[in-house]
Amino acid sequence: MTSRRLFEAAAYALFIALILAAPSVLGEFWLNRIAKYLVFGMLGVAICLSWGYAGILNLGQGLFFGIGAYMMAMSLKLASTTSQQAASDTPIPDFMFWNAEPGADQELCCITKSSFLWIPFQSEWFGLAMAVIAPTLIAAGLGAIVFRKRISGVFISIIMLALVLLVRLLIINNQPLTNGFNGLTDLGSFTVGGLVFDNFSKATYYAVAVALSVSLIGARLLVETRAGLVLQAVRDDANRARYLGFDVPTFQTFFFSVSAAIAGVAGLLYVNVAQFASPTFMDLSFSITMVVWAAVGGRNSLLGACIGAILINMMEAGMSETQALVESWRAIIGVVFIAVVLFLPRGLAGLADDLLNALTRRRAPSPVDIPVTSSRGGA
Amino acid sequence: MAAAALTLDGLGVEFSGFKAVSKVSTVIEEGELRVLLGANGAGKTTLMDLISGRTRSTEGRVFLFDREITNREEFVIARAGLGRKFQIPSVFKDLSVRRNLLVAACPSRGVFSNLRFGFPSATRDRVEDVLELTGLTEAADDIAANLSHGQTQWLELGLLIVQQPKVLLLDEPTAGMTAAETQKTARIIKALRGRHTLVVVEHDMAFVRAIAERITVLHLGQIIAEGDIAHVESHPKVKEAYLGSGGIH
Amino acid sequence: MIDTLFTGLSLGSILLIVALGLAITYGAMGVINMAHGDLVMVGAYTTVMSGIWLHLGFFAAMPVAFVVTALIGLAIERLIVRHLYGRLLDTLLATWGVAILLQQAVRLEFGAAFFHRHIEGLGTGLQKVSVPEWMQGTVSLAGADVNLYRTMIIVVALLLTALTWVLMYRTPVGMQLRAIMRNPQMAAACGIDVDRMNALAFAYGSGLAGVAGVLMSGFKTVFPDMGTPLVVDGFLVVVVGGVGSLAGTLAASGLLGQINGVVAAASNDILARAVIFAVVIGIIVFKPSGLFSYKGR
Repeated sequence: MTSRRLFEAAAYALFIALILAAPSVLGEFWLNRIAKYLVFGMLGVAICLSWGYAGILNLGQGLFFGIGAYMMAMSLKLASTTSQQAASDTPIPDFMFWNAEPGADQELCCITKSSFLWIPFQSEWFGLAMAVIAPTLIAAGLGAIVFRKRISGVFISIIMLALVLLVRLLIINNQPLTNGFNGLTDLGSFTVGGLVFDNFSKATYYAVAVALSVSLIGARLLVETRAGLVLQAVRDDANRARYLGFDVPTFQTFFFSVSAAIAGVAGLLYVNVAQFASPTFMDLSFSITMVVWAAVGGRNSLLGACIGAILINMMEAGMSETQALVESWRAIIGVVFIAVVLFLPRGLAGLADDLLNALTRRRAPSPVDIPVTSSRGGA
Repeated sequence: MAAAALTLDGLGVEFSGFKAVSKVSTVIEEGELRVLLGANGAGKTTLMDLISGRTRSTEGRVFLFDREITNREEFVIARAGLGRKFQIPSVFKDLSVRRNLLVAACPSRGVFSNLRFGFPSATRDRVEDVLELTGLTEAADDIAANLSHGQTQWLELGLLIVQQPKVLLLDEPTAGMTAAETQKTARIIKALRGRHTLVVVEHDMAFVRAIAERITVLHLGQIIAEGDIAHVESHPKVKEAYLGSGGIH
Repeated sequence: MIDTLFTGLSLGSILLIVALGLAITYGAMGVINMAHGDLVMVGAYTTVMSGIWLHLGFFAAMPVAFVVTALIGLAIERLIVRHLYGRLLDTLLATWGVAILLQQAVRLEFGAAFFHRHIEGLGTGLQKVSVPEWMQGTVSLAGADVNLYRTMIIVVALLLTALTWVLMYRTPVGMQLRAIMRNPQMAAACGIDVDRMNALAFAYGSGLAGVAGVLMSGFKTVFPDMGTPLVVDGFLVVVVGGVGSLAGTLAASGLLGQINGVVAAASNDILARAVIFAVVIGIIVFKPSGLFSYKGR
């Protein structure tokens, strides 16, 4: 391995070691806070994969995050004590009672319009599975339509933006079914055997840390494959790739779906850490903020985008003493963001990269390094 | 009698009443090197667009060997065995020369079949061969964006060669090249002859003389002459079309 | 029935005023200005501030707001957009950064918050603008009671559109701008100062946003976040109407306004917005060049 790749592997290893070691030095309260940042780190990875590698700037990543969150939250809501109602054996969310028409059937299937959709979520594993599957399928479906029509990049971003806002409105509009603006609160905890994943347990923290590590390494390996190289070629010159025989939309859809899956997992984990799901997950500003994290951290670097997300959120939390500090922090981020877009497109990771090159005195390498390793047994 | 590698049957396209290409019919045999001549605006690039799937034709058909490829999607036609080189060299600017060639040399074209690491040694050997053929071995690790114009053209040629298509469409492969570079390109193309079928669009008569076997002349979207150099140069219709310009330029 | 129609018109006219400025910057330069909504917000705050500090009336605030936001737009173009020529997505992101800054400037009261001072009219809270007496109330139109203020908005929207049309189609400046919209390189080759025109177009579009802000302040509460939904709406109109087409912007805002009105009457506001988004997504997917576009950009 070249020295650069060695350094990169070391960076990944160090980061993962750090986050896995945290529980041995930090208490519950801090672990819970850091778990939230790690979830945002996953979102950074998802954005980076889609944007930096596939060239698709998703301004509505909150859609996949939110759907993943709601799927999990629905299961946890049904598992909560607030859903144990005297009137029936099956759990029914409290807000459904509050919003039901007078005289409505007191069963989950029929208490309110479409409430039967909640029935399978009585199984927490169903909620978990749907949190991963639903965003992936939606992304795949979207990709199949939008990428195949060769819609230009800017319009794809606008479509995603409109879509996340659309879904947000649909959720808000359906108070009896989704509790509207209030979101899903008073949730139960995911339980596996004797292990309870409530928001302060170490198990939850480890789940987040492991998921982040897997996403990081998985995504990194993915872009290292031949498919990853083709993806970069596609991003570089889609036309050229087409004339070489590559079905460009399938590559774009694949990586877009992986990105959506990661965001979905981030969503389901966030629900476990924060104990709520809300339509604010699908606010436009949240979705664009994720892009800011990735841009500042480094849109071409998975670890960079991840750390960018974590650092920005950590610092913002650190400034929350006074309102003025929080607001000025946001202003600073605004300035940094503009500066990054104008002058530092590869973000802080790019800076680190340049520094490293200066230290090891090598020529500037290609923006993303793919090795030509020998393959055992060919393909 | 060699197989018909590329068959054009009455191919044409009309843009809002304007016939850019019409009733083009010709058969290019396997292993042949056909040159497509014509003034600017004669429809040469449009014809290539029609064959390679970039533009939808409004009449006629195209066959690659015995497989019809009329109006199929570009990547389908490419997989069927057609390679195309563009007038403005089109390579992957952010990747190194070697990686450019590796992409083109991918053993398979699907997503899932490419979820593997590295390339088979046979593929890497082929890439090294092409690097040598195009004279880019020393520049192999350079980023494609940093190549000179001539080198970019050769890289694109290299992409095509490594793709191993049955038929290559080359649109002005020597555009913007110096005399020396043009000679080198002629050598590369002559080396390809026989193993591949080539259709070359060109302006440079010296280059055409160096490589041509049969020439097809296009004018206003239609074929006006076809044959070897001598035949074409003395053809009355060709002279008429270029009357006043002193021959084909 | 008249009621619903009128509501649709009124909604459409608001969309139109916001989208008009966007249509120009997007049409002329292909720039997606995410700060446009916040320029509307600045216009609204200018109304608030000029009312409090300069004791200016509602209508007098319009030229003030125009100038203020035009200057800000000019600054944005000079400092940021100019450097990102051709990089569409980056322009989108950078202008989003500007949007954040504009919001924070208001929230932080231009730094006064640090010193625990409060400039009246700014800050994170809500502001209200008082509409002149004679504009409140309703007027009778074809048997229905229509809100006077909203009628005024429709009138102003049409006036501004007419003004913009005259500028674009009846002045030399407008002709130059249209030339740039169709083919910037050719326009430059013909001696048109593309840089200066771009700056002017951006400033004008931003100025329009400011005027929109004045109008909005009359019937919506003014708060720092009010800009974000507006920029989304504005872009949806521009995208649907087609790049660089005034007629398209007019038609699209009318269309989307009516759809919004009808659906809102049939169910509720929220669903109406959702339907609009769905319609726009559909149009982008199936007719990405918009409803009225020419082969320009």
